[in-house]
Amino acid sequence: MTSWLKSPERGLQAVHLPLGHADYAATYRLQQHLHGLRSRDDIADSILTVEHDPVLTIGRSGSRESILVPQEVLTREGISVFEVDRGGDITYHGPGQLVVYPIVDLREQGRDLRRYIRNLEQSVIDLLADLEVDAVRRPGFPGVWVGSRKIASIGVHVRNWVTRHGIALNVDVDRFHFGMIRPCGLEIEIVSLNELTPKSFAISDLIEPHLAQLSRLFGWEVRVEDPRRHWEACR
Amino acid sequence: MGEKESREVRLPDLGAVEAFTVVQWLKVEGAEVAAGEELLEVETEKTTFVIEAPVSGRLERIVVHEGERALRDDLLAEIA
Repeated sequence: MTSWLKSPERGLQAVHLPLGHADYAATYRLQQHLHGLRSRDDIADSILTVEHDPVLTIGRSGSRESILVPQEVLTREGISVFEVDRGGDITYHGPGQLVVYPIVDLREQGRDLRRYIRNLEQSVIDLLADLEVDAVRRPGFPGVWVGSRKIASIGVHVRNWVTRHGIALNVDVDRFHFGMIRPCGLEIEIVSLNELTPKSFAISDLIEPHLAQLSRLFGWEVRVEDPRRHWEACR
Repeated sequence: MGEKESREVRLPDLGAVEAFTVVQWLKVEGAEVAAGEELLEVETEKTTFVIEAPVSGRLERIVVHEGERALRDDLLAEIA
Protein backbone atom coordinates (compact mmCIF):
# COMPACT_ATOMS: atom_id res chain seq x y z
CA MET A 1 0.00 0.00 0.00
CA THR A 2 2.81 2.38 0.84
CA SER A 3 5.37 1.51 -1.82
CA TRP A 4 4.63 4.82 -3.53
CA LEU A 5 5.97 6.62 -0.46
CA LYS A 6 9.49 5.51 -1.24
CA SER A 7 9.38 5.33 -5.01
CA PRO A 8 12.77 6.73 -6.12
CA GLU A 9 11.45 8.36 -9.27
CA ARG A 10 8.89 10.30 -7.28
CA GLY A 11 10.94 11.06 -4.16
CA LEU A 12 9.28 11.31 -0.76
CA GLN A 13 5.65 12.29 -0.74
CA ALA A 14 4.16 14.63 1.83
CA VAL A 15 0.70 15.99 2.37
CA HIS A 16 -0.09 19.56 3.40
CA LEU A 17 -3.13 19.81 5.65
CA PRO A 18 -4.07 23.51 5.92
CA LEU A 19 -6.06 23.88 9.15
CA GLY A 20 -6.53 27.63 8.90
CA HIS A 21 -7.60 28.90 12.31
CA ALA A 22 -7.96 26.03 14.79
CA ASP A 23 -8.32 25.37 18.49
CA TYR A 24 -5.12 24.29 20.23
CA ALA A 25 -6.56 21.30 22.10
CA ALA A 26 -8.34 19.96 19.02
CA THR A 27 -5.19 20.37 16.95
CA TYR A 28 -3.20 18.51 19.60
CA ARG A 29 -5.62 15.58 19.33
CA LEU A 30 -5.40 15.75 15.54
CA GLN A 31 -1.60 15.56 15.76
CA GLN A 32 -1.85 12.49 17.99
CA HIS A 33 -4.28 10.88 15.55
CA LEU A 34 -2.01 11.55 12.56
CA HIS A 35 1.02 10.43 14.55
CA GLY A 36 -0.66 7.05 15.07
CA LEU A 37 -1.49 6.76 11.38
CA ARG A 38 2.03 7.75 10.34
CA SER A 39 3.59 5.29 12.84
CA ARG A 40 1.61 2.49 11.18
CA ASP A 41 2.64 3.76 7.72
CA ASP A 42 -1.03 4.37 6.88
CA ILE A 43 -0.37 7.93 5.69
CA ALA A 44 2.53 9.88 4.18
CA ASP A 45 4.47 12.55 6.08
CA SER A 46 1.95 15.28 6.83
CA ILE A 47 2.45 18.97 7.42
CA LEU A 48 -0.17 20.86 9.39
CA THR A 49 -0.26 24.64 9.15
CA VAL A 50 -2.39 26.50 11.67
CA GLU A 51 -3.04 29.72 13.53
CA HIS A 52 -4.25 29.32 17.14
CA ASP A 53 -6.30 31.37 19.55
CA PRO A 54 -4.12 32.68 22.40
CA VAL A 55 -2.71 29.83 24.50
CA LEU A 56 0.30 29.14 26.65
CA THR A 57 1.85 25.72 26.30
CA ILE A 58 4.36 24.25 28.70
CA GLY A 59 6.81 21.62 27.46
CA ARG A 60 8.32 18.75 29.41
CA SER A 61 11.14 20.85 30.90
CA GLY A 62 8.95 23.81 31.82
CA SER A 63 6.69 24.88 34.64
CA ARG A 64 4.04 27.44 35.49
CA GLU A 65 6.79 29.45 37.19
CA SER A 66 7.55 30.95 33.79
CA ILE A 67 4.09 32.58 33.72
CA LEU A 68 4.56 36.14 34.95
CA VAL A 69 0.92 37.14 35.46
CA PRO A 70 -1.73 35.86 37.87
CA GLN A 71 -4.41 33.42 36.71
CA GLU A 72 -7.05 36.24 36.75
CA VAL A 73 -5.21 38.01 33.94
CA LEU A 74 -5.06 34.83 31.86
CA THR A 75 -8.77 34.26 32.45
CA ARG A 76 -9.63 37.86 31.55
CA GLU A 77 -7.60 37.62 28.33
CA GLY A 78 -9.13 34.22 27.49
CA ILE A 79 -5.76 32.47 27.52
CA SER A 80 -5.72 28.74 28.31
CA VAL A 81 -2.65 26.90 29.57
CA PHE A 82 -1.73 23.42 28.33
CA GLU A 83 0.97 21.07 29.54
CA VAL A 84 2.16 19.15 26.49
CA ASP A 85 4.69 16.46 25.62
CA ARG A 86 7.06 18.44 23.41
CA GLY A 87 10.56 19.37 24.49
CA GLY A 88 11.32 22.81 25.88
CA ASP A 89 9.79 25.19 28.39
CA ILE A 90 6.88 27.59 27.98
CA THR A 91 5.74 29.30 24.81
CA TYR A 92 2.86 31.37 23.51
CA HIS A 93 0.72 30.69 20.47
CA GLY A 94 -1.83 33.12 19.15
CA PRO A 95 -3.13 35.16 16.25
CA GLY A 96 -0.41 36.45 13.94
CA GLN A 97 1.76 33.37 14.35
CA LEU A 98 2.28 30.71 11.68
CA VAL A 99 2.49 27.34 13.44
CA VAL A 100 3.75 24.36 11.46
CA TYR A 101 3.45 20.81 12.78
CA PRO A 102 5.23 18.27 10.58
CA ILE A 103 4.31 14.65 11.30
CA VAL A 104 7.44 13.04 9.88
CA ASP A 105 8.91 9.54 9.96
CA LEU A 106 12.55 10.21 10.78
CA ARG A 107 13.51 6.72 9.64
CA GLU A 108 13.14 8.16 6.14
CA GLN A 109 15.23 11.20 7.09
CA GLY A 110 18.37 9.39 8.23
CA ARG A 111 17.22 8.84 11.86
CA ASP A 112 18.98 12.08 12.74
CA LEU A 113 17.20 14.13 15.36
CA ARG A 114 19.62 17.00 15.24
CA ARG A 115 19.44 17.29 11.47
CA TYR A 116 15.65 17.37 11.72
CA ILE A 117 15.78 20.31 14.13
CA ARG A 118 18.41 22.06 11.98
CA ASN A 119 16.23 21.61 8.90
CA LEU A 120 13.18 23.05 10.64
CA GLU A 121 15.23 26.08 11.67
CA GLN A 122 16.78 26.35 8.21
CA SER A 123 13.34 26.36 6.55
CA VAL A 124 12.48 29.54 8.45
CA ILE A 125 15.94 31.10 8.02
CA ASP A 126 15.71 30.60 4.23
CA LEU A 127 12.11 31.82 4.10
CA LEU A 128 13.16 35.00 5.92
CA ALA A 129 16.24 35.44 3.72
CA ASP A 130 13.94 35.59 0.69
CA LEU A 131 12.13 38.45 2.47
CA GLU A 132 15.51 40.12 3.10
CA VAL A 133 15.46 39.43 6.82
CA ASP A 134 18.77 38.15 8.13
CA ALA A 135 17.95 35.43 10.68
CA VAL A 136 20.35 33.04 12.38
CA ARG A 137 20.73 30.17 14.83
CA ARG A 138 22.24 30.74 18.25
CA PRO A 139 24.35 27.81 19.46
CA GLY A 140 22.75 26.25 22.51
CA PHE A 141 19.45 28.09 21.98
CA PRO A 142 17.29 26.23 19.47
CA GLY A 143 14.92 28.39 17.43
CA VAL A 144 15.48 31.20 14.94
CA TRP A 145 16.81 34.58 15.93
CA VAL A 146 17.13 38.04 14.43
CA GLY A 147 20.06 39.50 16.33
CA SER A 148 19.28 38.78 19.97
CA ARG A 149 15.52 38.62 19.41
CA LYS A 150 13.62 35.41 18.84
CA ILE A 151 11.40 35.18 15.76
CA ALA A 152 10.63 31.43 15.71
CA SER A 153 10.31 28.85 18.48
CA ILE A 154 10.81 25.14 18.21
CA GLY A 155 9.57 22.16 20.22
CA VAL A 156 9.30 18.54 19.11
CA HIS A 157 8.20 15.16 20.42
CA VAL A 158 9.37 11.89 18.86
CA ARG A 159 8.12 8.40 19.54
CA ASN A 160 8.33 5.42 17.17
CA TRP A 161 10.68 7.75 15.23
CA VAL A 162 7.68 9.85 14.20
CA THR A 163 7.59 13.55 15.07
CA ARG A 164 4.88 15.86 16.26
CA HIS A 165 4.78 19.54 17.35
CA GLY A 166 7.13 21.74 15.31
CA ILE A 167 7.99 25.38 14.72
CA ALA A 168 6.13 28.66 15.25
CA LEU A 169 7.02 31.82 13.34
CA ASN A 170 5.99 35.19 14.76
CA VAL A 171 4.51 37.18 11.91
CA ASP A 172 2.50 39.78 13.79
CA VAL A 173 1.94 38.64 17.38
CA ASP A 174 0.46 40.44 20.37
CA ARG A 175 3.42 41.68 22.40
CA PHE A 176 1.26 42.11 25.48
CA HIS A 177 0.37 38.43 25.41
CA PHE A 178 3.95 37.32 24.82
CA GLY A 179 5.00 39.55 27.72
CA MET A 180 3.03 37.32 30.10
CA ILE A 181 5.72 34.66 30.06
CA ARG A 182 9.43 34.19 30.18
CA PRO A 183 9.68 32.40 26.82
CA CYS A 184 11.65 29.17 27.14
CA GLY A 185 12.20 30.19 30.78
CA LEU A 186 14.66 32.85 29.58
CA GLU A 187 14.80 36.63 29.65
CA ILE A 188 14.55 37.04 25.91
CA GLU A 189 12.89 39.48 23.60
CA ILE A 190 10.47 38.37 20.93
CA VAL A 191 10.20 39.92 17.48
CA SER A 192 7.63 39.61 14.70
CA LEU A 193 8.37 39.57 10.97
CA ASN A 194 6.16 42.59 10.33
CA GLU A 195 8.32 44.72 12.63
CA LEU A 196 11.27 44.02 10.34
CA THR A 197 9.81 44.52 6.88
CA PRO A 198 8.20 47.48 5.12
CA LYS A 199 5.44 45.19 3.85
CA SER A 200 2.88 43.77 6.27
CA PHE A 201 2.51 40.01 5.77
CA ALA A 202 -0.55 37.88 6.47
CA ILE A 203 -0.11 34.27 7.62
CA SER A 204 -1.56 33.11 4.31
CA ASP A 205 1.23 34.91 2.38
CA LEU A 206 3.86 32.76 4.07
CA ILE A 207 2.43 29.24 4.01
CA GLU A 208 3.32 28.36 0.41
CA PRO A 209 6.83 29.87 0.52
CA HIS A 210 7.52 28.04 3.79
CA LEU A 211 6.28 24.73 2.37
CA ALA A 212 8.60 25.26 -0.60
CA GLN A 213 11.55 25.54 1.79
CA LEU A 214 10.48 22.44 3.73
CA SER A 215 10.05 20.47 0.49
CA ARG A 216 13.56 21.36 -0.63
CA LEU A 217 15.17 20.52 2.73
CA PHE A 218 13.30 17.26 3.36
CA GLY A 219 13.15 16.07 -0.26
CA TRP A 220 9.36 16.11 -0.36
CA GLU A 221 6.92 16.42 -3.16
CA VAL A 222 4.02 18.11 -1.38
CA ARG A 223 0.38 17.95 -2.35
CA VAL A 224 -2.42 19.68 -0.48
CA GLU A 225 -5.30 17.73 1.04
CA ASP A 226 -8.51 18.79 2.75
CA PRO A 227 -8.05 17.97 6.47
CA ARG A 228 -11.77 17.27 6.95
CA ARG A 229 -11.59 13.46 6.98
CA HIS A 230 -8.90 13.56 9.68
CA TRP A 231 -10.89 16.05 11.77
CA GLU A 232 -13.91 13.77 11.55
CA ALA A 233 -11.88 10.67 12.44
CA CYS A 234 -10.57 12.13 15.70
CA ARG A 235 -13.75 13.76 16.96
CA MET B 1 26.22 -7.70 20.14
CA GLY B 2 26.76 -9.93 23.22
CA GLU B 3 24.00 -10.88 25.58
CA LYS B 4 25.27 -8.59 28.32
CA GLU B 5 25.37 -5.54 26.06
CA SER B 6 21.87 -6.09 24.76
CA ARG B 7 20.56 -5.98 28.34
CA GLU B 8 21.91 -2.49 28.85
CA VAL B 9 19.63 0.45 28.14
CA ARG B 10 21.35 3.31 26.36
CA LEU B 11 20.35 6.18 24.10
CA PRO B 12 19.76 4.84 20.58
CA ASP B 13 21.79 6.43 17.80
CA LEU B 14 19.91 9.69 17.11
CA GLY B 15 22.62 11.29 15.00
CA ALA B 16 24.90 13.98 16.41
CA VAL B 17 23.33 14.18 19.88
CA GLU B 18 25.96 14.66 22.60
CA ALA B 19 24.03 15.08 25.84
CA PHE B 20 20.48 14.74 27.04
CA THR B 21 18.28 14.78 30.13
CA VAL B 22 16.13 11.96 31.46
CA VAL B 23 12.63 13.46 31.71
CA GLN B 24 10.64 10.50 32.98
CA TRP B 25 10.89 6.76 33.54
CA LEU B 26 7.72 5.10 32.28
CA LYS B 27 8.49 1.91 34.27
CA VAL B 28 9.63 1.52 37.87
CA GLU B 29 12.60 -0.53 39.05
CA GLY B 30 11.59 -4.16 39.37
CA ALA B 31 8.86 -3.96 36.72
CA GLU B 32 8.64 -6.53 33.94
CA VAL B 33 9.13 -4.97 30.52
CA ALA B 34 8.66 -6.35 27.03
CA ALA B 35 11.06 -5.66 24.16
CA GLY B 36 9.78 -2.64 22.24
CA GLU B 37 7.72 -1.34 25.16
CA GLU B 38 8.12 2.35 25.97
CA LEU B 39 10.62 2.64 28.81
CA LEU B 40 11.68 6.24 29.32
CA GLU B 41 11.47 9.72 27.87
CA VAL B 42 14.55 11.87 27.33
CA GLU B 43 14.99 15.44 26.12
CA THR B 44 17.65 17.10 24.01
CA GLU B 45 17.57 20.34 22.02
CA LYS B 46 13.87 21.02 22.65
CA THR B 47 12.97 17.53 21.57
CA THR B 48 11.53 14.79 23.72
CA PHE B 49 12.26 11.26 22.58
CA VAL B 50 10.70 8.04 23.88
CA ILE B 51 13.13 5.13 24.24
CA GLU B 52 11.83 1.58 24.04
CA ALA B 53 13.08 -1.45 25.96
CA PRO B 54 15.80 -3.19 23.88
CA VAL B 55 14.94 -6.62 25.35
CA SER B 56 12.29 -8.27 27.51
CA GLY B 57 13.02 -8.82 31.21
CA ARG B 58 12.91 -7.14 34.57
CA LEU B 59 14.03 -3.52 34.92
CA GLU B 60 16.79 -4.39 37.36
CA ARG B 61 18.41 -1.03 37.99
CA ILE B 62 17.87 2.56 36.90
CA VAL B 63 21.24 4.30 36.66
CA VAL B 64 20.28 7.78 35.42
CA HIS B 65 17.28 9.16 37.26
CA GLU B 66 14.62 11.70 36.30
CA GLY B 67 16.01 15.19 35.90
CA GLU B 68 19.61 13.97 35.55
CA ARG B 69 21.87 14.70 32.56
CA ALA B 70 23.65 12.01 30.62
CA LEU B 71 26.12 11.75 27.75
CA ARG B 72 25.26 9.85 24.60
CA ASP B 73 27.03 6.60 25.52
CA ASP B 74 26.07 6.49 29.21
CA LEU B 75 24.41 3.45 30.72
CA LEU B 76 20.82 4.44 31.61
CA ALA B 77 19.50 1.20 33.09
CA GLU B 78 19.94 -2.56 33.16
CA ILE B 79 17.36 -5.18 32.29
CA ALA B 80 17.91 -8.62 33.86
